[in-house]
Amino acid sequence: MDFNLIQNLATGFSAAASLENLGFAFLGCLLGTLIGVLPGIGPIPTIAMLLPITFGLDPLSSLVMLAGIFYGAQYGGSTTSILVNIPGEAASIVTCIDGHEMAKQGRAGTALGVAALGSFFAGTVGTVFIAGFGPPLAALAQEFNSPDNFSLMVLGLVTAVILAHGSLIKAVGMVLVGLLLGLVGTDVNSGLTRYTFGIPEIWDRIDFVPLVIGMFGITEIIRNLEQTSLPRPQLSTRMRELWPRGQDFRDAWGAVLRGTGLGSVLGILPGGGAVLASFASYTLEKKVAKDPSRFGKGAIEGVAGPESANNAAAQTSFIPLLTLGLPSNAIMALMMGAMIIQGIQPGAAVMTARPELFWGMVASMWIGNLMLLVINLPLIGVWVRLLSVPYRLLYPAILLFCVIGIYSVNTNATELAICAVFAVFGYILLRFGCEPAPLVLGFILGPLMEENLRRSLVISRGSPWVFIERPISAALLATTVVLVLALIVLPQLRRTRKEAFRE
Amino acid sequence: MFQIKSPQDLGAAVVFLAVGVAGAYFGSELRLGTAGNMGPGFFPVILSWIVVAIGVIVGIKAVTVEGPRVEPFQLRPLLVIVAAILVFGYVVDTIGLALTAALLTVLAAFARRWREINALETILLAAALALFSVGLFVYALSQPFPAWWGR
Repeated sequence: MDFNLIQNLATGFSAAASLENLGFAFLGCLLGTLIGVLPGIGPIPTIAMLLPITFGLDPLSSLVMLAGIFYGAQYGGSTTSILVNIPGEAASIVTCIDGHEMAKQGRAGTALGVAALGSFFAGTVGTVFIAGFGPPLAALAQEFNSPDNFSLMVLGLVTAVILAHGSLIKAVGMVLVGLLLGLVGTDVNSGLTRYTFGIPEIWDRIDFVPLVIGMFGITEIIRNLEQTSLPRPQLSTRMRELWPRGQDFRDAWGAVLRGTGLGSVLGILPGGGAVLASFASYTLEKKVAKDPSRFGKGAIEGVAGPESANNAAAQTSFIPLLTLGLPSNAIMALMMGAMIIQGIQPGAAVMTARPELFWGMVASMWIGNLMLLVINLPLIGVWVRLLSVPYRLLYPAILLFCVIGIYSVNTNATELAICAVFAVFGYILLRFGCEPAPLVLGFILGPLMEENLRRSLVISRGSPWVFIERPISAALLATTVVLVLALIVLPQLRRTRKEAFRE
Repeated sequence: MFQIKSPQDLGAAVVFLAVGVAGAYFGSELRLGTAGNMGPGFFPVILSWIVVAIGVIVGIKAVTVEGPRVEPFQLRPLLVIVAAILVFGYVVDTIGLALTAALLTVLAAFARRWREINALETILLAAALALFSVGLFVYALSQPFPAWWGR
């Protein structure tokens, strides 16, 4: 197996590491950081906004660039957390606690450096994890039949809902609305159009790009504009040194190792991912620390652990997507949408049918991480300056790039109307306390769920027991039930969940 | 009768009920089929009814459990941004990316309060963004846009 692992990675690197692809990884990383570092724009809107630029490329290059964007956006989020105490997303909330405290003490450079080095280490381990766990999981996935796939998606959606923030029941509602929206368009089985209201542009599904840009990008702009005081960074920080000193290394390496391990494992779980990993790592670091009172006052472990954990998890959360075709969170749903647009249906088949694509993507993740380290770290000064650009100059540009992105996919004004509709819809839902992330997961999985349900019920001649008779499916459903029951029966668990998401 | 304890939940309930009822209503013209031979309406109609059920549950929560109030809707940014997006879509093919980009920038400026709008700054920004987007998207990335007035 070990030899295979190396051989597989070699295949990947020889495919991904062409000069051209390295260029795309570089560009993706740069753009991802550039947008991701802007205050008030988290990784999801960043990736949504930048998706369209990758569409013109060939599949591997576009995936390589996408991976670059993904890492850039994530790292951009950490940068804003540390420097200005604005977490771009839930996963970097914990980084704010000690990271920003370090920045206030004039150690912003060290915090950013440790975050980048820890992330790079975690990313490397995560890549090896994918290479090691990918093939066996993909082999297992080959055993999956329609009922198993259906149950797997149920499990994935339920865990994603449990781990989403805000109200559980509303998250369930959002997933279901997403599933429904995913069904709009021509029914593959009967050829009839559903819910299209005579709009030809949605005959084959509602397009993914205008939907996500509308619900994440545009809604975000509108929300920022509503605030009387726009997120205005306080740049009281001095960038003394970027490279952590010897003492910092000694303090941080344990946290990096623990964070990496924890993150790698938690990332694989369907519904898991970066958020859970960074919270878990912070809690763990506090537990193992000799003097827990330092946390919250600029403890380097409080940055090193969670940042490593969330990067490791971000990496390994590709495993369920690439082997089972199951996106475990909204970011993975975006990745899946991008792959589908490239004509790749993520799942075990990719690994066997197009190994150079699969392994190329795995290799490109590592390259993306490397780019982050060698290019972004020296450019920290530029990113910091970018943070001080006032929002009134930024938002027209962001808006412009959003609409250009949407329009360039199909050169069709209707796509922009769709985007506008979802911007309004997303805005209203946010006002009512409904997060859009679960909806996107449902939207991506809608057609797949229907197809697998249909096939399962054809096999069983309409008997729903098929989902319990097959052992894999039964195990997956049992896990789902246990999770749901645990959440209902154990009130502590519910409280922990609430606390974990409290800002 | 009922006292609304969580306005946010009430709003969410209304949205879910509306989506669910619409899904079931417009799905009713689709053939349901049987479980063993699902028609095009089978899955969407079932989903719609579950969404209705969720709407009811959230609605009950709204009148029983205390919850946060709804932040007031601010129509100005919402409407201006939406209008800017639509205008972009419907004019870019005719007047080209440069002018449209500038127009969008100027329109977007109106999303802010009157006293905050700085005419000179907006015009400069519009010009800069127009040149930048034409340079980047039309010339560098060869995206399918006419650059200047239809060409």
